Amino acid sequence: MAGIQDETIDQVKDLDVDKYKYGFTTDIEMDMAPKGLSEDIVRFISAKKNEPEWMLDYRLDAYRRWLTMEEPSWAILNYPKIDFNDLYYYAAPKKKIELDSLDDLDPEILATYEKLGIPLKEQEILAGVKGTRNKVAVDAVFDSVSVATTFKKELAKAGVIFCPISEALQTHPELVRKYLGSVVPATDNFYATLNQAVFSDGSFVYIPEGVRCPMELSTYFRINAENTGQFERTLIIADKGSYVSYLEGCTAPQRDENQLHAAVVELIIMDDAEIKYSTVQNWYPGDKDGKGGIYNFVTKRADCRGRNSKVSWTQVETGSAITWKYPSCILRGDNSQGEFYSIAVSNGAQQVDSGTKMIHLGKNTSSRIISKGISAGKSSNCYRGLVSAHRRATGSRNYTQCDSLLIGDKCSAHTVPYLEAKTPSAQFEHEATTSKISEDQLFYCMQRGMSEEEAVALIVNGFVRDVLQHLPMEFMAESQKLIGISLEGSVG
Amino acid sequence: MTAGTTIQKTDAELGLARQFDETRANLPGNDWVREQREEAIRTFARLGLPHRRVEAWKYTDLRSMLKDAKTPADADLNSVTDAELYQALGADLHGLGAHHIVFVDGVYDEENSFIIGDEAGLVHMTSLAETLNNPPEWFKSNFNKVNPRQDDHVGTLNTAFMRDGAVIEIVKDARLKRPVHLIFISSSKSAEAITERHFIHVAQGASATILESYVHLRAPDTQRNSVTELKLETGAKVNHIKFQHEGAKASHLSNWMVSIGENANYRGFQLTIGAKVSRNTINVNFHGSHSQADISGVALLWDEQHSDTTMDIVHGVPNTLSRELFKTVLDDRGRAGFQGKLVVKPDAQKTDAKQMAHGMLLSETAEFDAKPELEIYADDVVCGHGATSGQLDEDMMFYMRQRGMSMDTVQTLLILAFVGEAFELIEDEDIRAAFTKMAEAWLGGKSDE
Repeated sequence: MAGIQDETIDQVKDLDVDKYKYGFTTDIEMDMAPKGLSEDIVRFISAKKNEPEWMLDYRLDAYRRWLTMEEPSWAILNYPKIDFNDLYYYAAPKKKIELDSLDDLDPEILATYEKLGIPLKEQEILAGVKGTRNKVAVDAVFDSVSVATTFKKELAKAGVIFCPISEALQTHPELVRKYLGSVVPATDNFYATLNQAVFSDGSFVYIPEGVRCPMELSTYFRINAENTGQFERTLIIADKGSYVSYLEGCTAPQRDENQLHAAVVELIIMDDAEIKYSTVQNWYPGDKDGKGGIYNFVTKRADCRGRNSKVSWTQVETGSAITWKYPSCILRGDNSQGEFYSIAVSNGAQQVDSGTKMIHLGKNTSSRIISKGISAGKSSNCYRGLVSAHRRATGSRNYTQCDSLLIGDKCSAHTVPYLEAKTPSAQFEHEATTSKISEDQLFYCMQRGMSEEEAVALIVNGFVRDVLQHLPMEFMAESQKLIGISLEGSVG
Repeated sequence: MTAGTTIQKTDAELGLARQFDETRANLPGNDWVREQREEAIRTFARLGLPHRRVEAWKYTDLRSMLKDAKTPADADLNSVTDAELYQALGADLHGLGAHHIVFVDGVYDEENSFIIGDEAGLVHMTSLAETLNNPPEWFKSNFNKVNPRQDDHVGTLNTAFMRDGAVIEIVKDARLKRPVHLIFISSSKSAEAITERHFIHVAQGASATILESYVHLRAPDTQRNSVTELKLETGAKVNHIKFQHEGAKASHLSNWMVSIGENANYRGFQLTIGAKVSRNTINVNFHGSHSQADISGVALLWDEQHSDTTMDIVHGVPNTLSRELFKTVLDDRGRAGFQGKLVVKPDAQKTDAKQMAHGMLLSETAEFDAKPELEIYADDVVCGHGATSGQLDEDMMFYMRQRGMSMDTVQTLLILAFVGEAFELIEDEDIRAAFTKMAEAWLGGKSDE
């Protein structure tokens, strides 16, 4: 513990004023679509991706629908109206990349990912040295396109398909067509519909029946170009009896204007299968006065279609100026399980409105929600969740715990849980607390020679421990550091 | 989600507008009151009846539930006898030894009302109708001020149509031993709309128990809209209790607006048994430090009853405490919604607020929805809420059955224990005993089915 603390503090010292270490930009020639949004842009994106006719129709249908929709305003978020015509909807590095040989990858991009701590090349080399350490296959998404995917061959041996969704549309159109939009339909919500129309890339994962994915899969999202919206789409299908652990990380350069990120993630889990989905979201949060930062409007949903299926969402949200995100579980199969573990840290002028939905449809389904919100500075942090049981969902169970920690008297914390039971045998429990860091604990730590900042970091790490331990090893250490950094400057 | 659709007015909405035109000349009040009414009906024309898309009415779609607007009750008093009051209230509540203030079909019944001699100088009561005809300055400056909500659909209807009610003053330092019992009885055979509004001012250092009983003689589908504005001055203490047992087809829209002064102590309780549709809105606002609010309630619902409790507790000043405990038992196709919001404003440091809502479902077709909410803008606070939904614990039932108790006895005991926790919070022993008996009778009625 002490080691991590020291490291955290060192790292904080190294940072520039705004404490965001991923704020650099990569200077690279980009291929951009004209600014704005129209049917032509949708056609342009579809043509760029060389998509089949049905896909274009699908996009156009979503676009036309989107035009009739209104931006939702129910969240506790405050931001100027987004001008959807003042964005670039497609930006890709100009150099064509052959996905098989990383040597052809633009060195600038390679350097970018190395700088971010995602060594694409090194991972590739590691493939030859089996068993040296936990391997993670990475799909790197740079603005609108996937630039590299590692370990594809090894995964293919196990029958696992892990590739950019644009590639999957070429190689496995039948799978994409069958599952795309089956969890988050085109009609779902304003941002999901927009994503449906203009999504440019993302990851596609298919784990065949009975396969335990031999390594962790990961996608690293990077926004680089200016005035660009990133609209990625992730589709993961875990067939009967399979298992996969998937990680997602995000960063963006430090810019004065706000950038939009509207992603859709669909998970489909069949009988006895399990997906573990972990996110560390660290988009640029804007400076301490709220200038710049990413607007993050994300729709994530898992459909537990099969019996005994299981999904677990773990998220560490430290970035973005605005976070609007509710990873949900539809517990359709009997005995299916949904879990949601979340840490949302907000500082400066960040605003978070995040939570989950657990929709119990099948018999004996169970769900668990542990949400830890920490707000500091002038930030606002809201947990919003729904737990509902359908009449047929007999024997369903839910346990929800939402704790909020306030650091400083200018921040705010909100909790808005919905609990809807339509069957008597559903047993739902919800608990929420809000408080500041205990003065006694702080005193105790400081009296033993810790500075206030160290003491706060220690207590906060204890506060979020329940969630951290659900993260894969590599993410756990990183997240611990990230939380420390995010809270830097919040005391004293 | 679709933009710019104008919502078609429902029959009830059109009916209400028409009725206002027809009755406005007969409603009590001077020019100032008339202005308030006109403004309110204009606001209502804009808002319409609340529906599911209005967040505060998420669990009660009044727009679809209120099929038509009943005609306002006749201004002429329907007389009731004391024996009829006894019949409607039951022996326990009738025999509390309380001051009686009676309203029959929404109109003050002087005949049956009395303030018992030993406390006569401590309670002043005027009817709202009388007050509206010549509203004093204090009335004007306090009217709708306790917790004004710009978007209160039902509240605007109340202002537009209010006909009568109780204006009560508990004088400074009065310590009432007897409860003040406000009895609202519907006696009419035909369906009627009743709109009442009450103002209760509890002066500095005074303490009182105020019981509101909404009961029926026959079972007409009364539409009641009732607002109680209650103001507690410094050091005041109030036990504010509501008993709602309206007719089986009635709708009951109630709104409590409470303002709590420094060092004051407010204890609210609501027992809901009657009405087909009931909505209990509770708005509590702290305007003085070191004050406290304990609010609790029990709802026992069956058949196709629908009840909704929506509560906003606003801590606007430092050092205040609030506690809420709500218990709901649902049988048949009963449905209950609970929305409780705790708001802590930026300066309200040292707030201590806790809220609990529990639902117990006895049938496959019942439904319980809860939305407890925390909205916190100050850091030095301890706030929490909890909500649960479930059925009778099988282990407990097994344990008791195994000791030879019948299923009915086991259920009755467990349910009484469940609601008993809330009843315990009623300070007045007689009222607590009366309510417990009613819960027993309700459970007994169920097993007779």
